[in-house]
Amino acid sequence: MIELTPALTITWVAIPFFIGFSISLLPQLDRLLAFVVTLVSIAYAGLLFVAQSPQQLELIDNFGVTLIADSLSGFFILTNGLVTLAILLYCWRSDKTAFFYTQLILLHGSVNAAFLCADFVSLYVALEVISIASFLLVTYSRSARSIWFGLRYLFISNTAMLFYLVGVALVYKATDSFRFEGLSVAPPEAIALIFLGLLVKGGIFVSGLWLPQTHTEADTPVSAMLSGVVVKVAILGLVRCALVVPEVEPIVRMMGVATALFGVGYAVFEKDSKRMLAFHTVSQLGFVLAAPPVAGFYALTHGLVKAALFLVAGSLPSRNFKELNQQPIARSLWLMGVIAAFSISGLPLLAGFGAKTLTVKALLPWQAIAMNIAAVGTAISFAKFIFLPQSGAVTAPEKVKNLWPSMVILLGGLFIANGFYPEAYSLENIAKALITIVIGWALYLAVIKKISLKLPRMFERLEHLIGVMSLTAVGLFLLAILLTVPEGAGG
Amino acid sequence: MLEACVFFTVLCGFFGLIFKKNLVMKIIAMDVMSTGTIAYYVAAAARGGLMVPIAENPEASLTAGSYADPVPQSIVLTAIVIGFSIQSLMLVGVMKLAKDNPTLEVEAIERSYLP
Repeated sequence: MIELTPALTITWVAIPFFIGFSISLLPQLDRLLAFVVTLVSIAYAGLLFVAQSPQQLELIDNFGVTLIADSLSGFFILTNGLVTLAILLYCWRSDKTAFFYTQLILLHGSVNAAFLCADFVSLYVALEVISIASFLLVTYSRSARSIWFGLRYLFISNTAMLFYLVGVALVYKATDSFRFEGLSVAPPEAIALIFLGLLVKGGIFVSGLWLPQTHTEADTPVSAMLSGVVVKVAILGLVRCALVVPEVEPIVRMMGVATALFGVGYAVFEKDSKRMLAFHTVSQLGFVLAAPPVAGFYALTHGLVKAALFLVAGSLPSRNFKELNQQPIARSLWLMGVIAAFSISGLPLLAGFGAKTLTVKALLPWQAIAMNIAAVGTAISFAKFIFLPQSGAVTAPEKVKNLWPSMVILLGGLFIANGFYPEAYSLENIAKALITIVIGWALYLAVIKKISLKLPRMFERLEHLIGVMSLTAVGLFLLAILLTVPEGAGG
Repeated sequence: MLEACVFFTVLCGFFGLIFKKNLVMKIIAMDVMSTGTIAYYVAAAARGGLMVPIAENPEASLTAGSYADPVPQSIVLTAIVIGFSIQSLMLVGVMKLAKDNPTLEVEAIERSYLP
């Protein structure tokens, strides 16, 4: 058995970057090298689960780089490894160039590094590397349209990160260090600015409106990667802040509830399959944030499901649900989508059920009602996939063949991850999950399917997206004052 | 006073980002904003003093208060490099985009790409 040593962690962080650039030099071996990297990541995540105590690395001094490797980051790293592996297998027989694999592995590596960060500056560097790699992947097709959405993504994320940097400077002024713990003594404006940066990067609540269209415009495997893993980087940052600084935990929980309802509200009325999935990501991240102590497991199940659904949606003959409802789709394709949709709706026997039960248990009383509504909304939006007409007579399109290996990994992962939380299987929990799903489906068939409501897209324009940032900053500032000042006055 | 100027620069950049219609102008506004952020770090580093934090001989005692803090400066060096690379990437993107949208007006581009 290999020990978890600091040298191993550092090597593991460095490997994707080293191999990523090697892929450019050895384009013949591109897929093989990328395959090795993902396997190493999955093995490392396994080590993190086996290791008894979390590992903390500190480079130089209290103002240097701090990394934490524990089981919480283990969940996120496992998600990253499995999703990247599935995407790699999906692309195995496509004509993607070595450039694509280089960027994919660099993205994978920077996401891995970000999952270990425990100080603001290394998180900043990792987030910016992620922005660049995601931009290059979104614009992989080189069409003017994809370039525009890539540029829009860079504009928004870079502006958010500039605010974040100012917040980090404020933390440094207050504590002479960049650790997450410094947030507890930092002034409220520092909390507001740092959270603004992380909320925008993570696509939370109103500041996450950039996310759906960006994820929709990207190529199918890239959407799966962005929605399944990349947005979770900022989420883990927020979760870690909430865990080490109890003062900010209410803000994180509140944002979780708000984005869960907001995202699902859009998802229910969305007619485009990929946009629906992307809006649903905005909502599911709320579930991850709503209960910081158990965030890891939910993030894992969501990552697997979302990647699977994006890959399935990419193989469907159309993206419009109205057109999809008119002609049956191949049964094999339908089956893959349905398993994933069942898991995310929280049906027992799949990991989504355990994750949802665990999250609901960790909720505070004031969150419970809102999160149950969001769960019903989830069931409604995925009823759109479940009730698609299907038939065994329709032959699946050729590209479905490439889908099988990735589906085995992602959906198999969902079955196996079930074992993480076997206590969920009590009669009460199962009944609750089934009732939620039945209510959701009934609402879908009776109401939602018949009405067609087009929500305005005005707020997704660049100026509005950037303008909303200033409003979010003000809102966060007020929240931070409300939550931190009484304690300051007491001390 | 210095801090007020720095925040004014950041806000100038931010409002430019919102109100300028042209994509290239938006990128320049973003550069102004990042200049403000960088200046804030430099100002934060100079809180303790302005001297370069290098001791000329090992015996000289480093009296607290007269040397600039090297940490924010080294951090901001990373931020400058990252900001520069992102900006150059964006300019390449704009060059490509200019073939289809010669005016580079954000409004016109969004009208054609957002359904």
